[in-house]
Amino acid sequence: MVDFSRVQKELQECNKDVKISGISVKPKADSLSHLIGTIPGPVDSPYEGGTFLIDIVLLDGYPFEPPKMKFLTKVWHPNISSQSGAICLDILKDQWSPALTLKTALVSIQALLSAPEPDDPQDAVVAQQYLRDYQTFVGTARYWTEAFAKTSSHGMDEKVQRLVEMGFPEALTRSTLEVVGGDETLALEKLCSN
Amino acid sequence: MSNRVLCKFFKHGACLKGEHCEYAHDWNTPANNTCTFYQRGACAYGSRCRYDHVKVSHLQSSASSSSTAFIRNETPGVTTSGVAPVSQVSSVQQELSPSTTQFHPPNKAAWNQQSGISDTAEDDLIPQPKSDRLVDQVICSFAAAGNCPKGEKCPHIHGDLCPTCGKHCLHPFRPKEREEHFQTCEKMQKHLEALKRSQEIECSVCLERVLTKPAASERKFGLLSECDHPFCITCIRNWRNSSPSSGMDVNSTLRACPICRKLSYFVIPSVLWYFSKEEKDEIVDSYMARLKSIDCKYFDFGSGSCPFGTSCFYKHAYRDGSVEEVVLRHLGAADGETIIAKNISLADFLRNLHIS
Repeated sequence: MVDFSRVQKELQECNKDVKISGISVKPKADSLSHLIGTIPGPVDSPYEGGTFLIDIVLLDGYPFEPPKMKFLTKVWHPNISSQSGAICLDILKDQWSPALTLKTALVSIQALLSAPEPDDPQDAVVAQQYLRDYQTFVGTARYWTEAFAKTSSHGMDEKVQRLVEMGFPEALTRSTLEVVGGDETLALEKLCSN
Repeated sequence: MSNRVLCKFFKHGACLKGEHCEYAHDWNTPANNTCTFYQRGACAYGSRCRYDHVKVSHLQSSASSSSTAFIRNETPGVTTSGVAPVSQVSSVQQELSPSTTQFHPPNKAAWNQQSGISDTAEDDLIPQPKSDRLVDQVICSFAAAGNCPKGEKCPHIHGDLCPTCGKHCLHPFRPKEREEHFQTCEKMQKHLEALKRSQEIECSVCLERVLTKPAASERKFGLLSECDHPFCITCIRNWRNSSPSSGMDVNSTLRACPICRKLSYFVIPSVLWYFSKEEKDEIVDSYMARLKSIDCKYFDFGSGSCPFGTSCFYKHAYRDGSVEEVVLRHLGAADGETIIAKNISLADFLRNLHIS
């Protein structure tokens, strides 16, 4: 059984200083075992300025089992799969400790973004490029950040705009869009069913 | 006349009369465990009553004798007339005795009879209450518990104020009892303070205050032998017992402190958290001593074998009480180092056997 009272506490704790850290965790739907984490791209890295969404699934043993985390936003990084978003990080695997929290895990992922480990890669192609042609790597990573980690917020405004035009209140539209992860059709369905 | 029944206040650890109590403070004496309601005919608890439902005639006599002893204590002058009473007391006696004779003539007669016997038999084992001595006076239990509604008019003496617990529970004329109270009170106070400080401590895994957990069995800390990070016993045991299926290594990850990752080989359960190394050592030592007094179920008085061998925390003693003596077989290895040989079993050979 997931320790939901702990998850609840973690969410409160994490969302308290969201303005400073930029890291937030929100439940994806009504269940607390499926969450969405948001981390800002670290400064002085090709990911600066981007906002990365991370899908978090809590297994039954949490916090004694590590949370399952993967990137929802496409990232060009040696330790993150450019296809599936899978993350190669020891604390999410055998080095997990129950004293770690969702926030500390997200902070570690943020640190991984600024300090890649190409010798222990998840995505061999990216790692190859990182080792052989660092400049191209930086260029690609920056381009991917521009293309995938920034549009979601721009796109969000347009989606909100469109839904508001359909006659839904803006605040509700925005929160509904956030809950469904930015999917316009899902948000529309949800708004209509309310 | 065996009215030395086990004192029921003593049984609960709270007899204010101490060694001056007319009931026995000795665990070997039989407790008067008969149900008084049943004696009178009806006990509302029926078969669920925690007292014995027996009707024995001699019990009634012992009950009556103890009740007379109690009454005698209440009206001091009557029995102590021969021991030079204080003038005030004798006047009280004069006032009292006609009324007692008037309303309870058989009772009074019984006292006179009894006191006559006990006066002549000097080596009587039953200590007779001598209320004229200050030492034997009972202190007011209301005042001792915190507040006496009678205040100044209370017929009993009020104890002195204990500076530690703030109650009037120190008997003014029993120095030994005072000393005892001081000691236990100080110990209690220390325990309470430690408990108070422990209240604040949060478990780093469930993020809850350990001593405010809903289940009583969970309100315990799990101390790690090698570091000082606080966890509740359930969380730390859960972590150490979690299945290695998740790819975590038992000996390097699960045995480590979740915070500092220092390896600890055992967890000590404790109701209190510690704030100094001495306090921790005390908790650990008392825990180890407690385990050492329990017989090891694997060793089974010598008929079984304990996989922990000499490092077992439990007691390895044979049925006759003698403790297991450990003989370690030291073998010189080829490189000059000494190794300690384990007991060789057939399984060791069979395991290495390859059947072609």
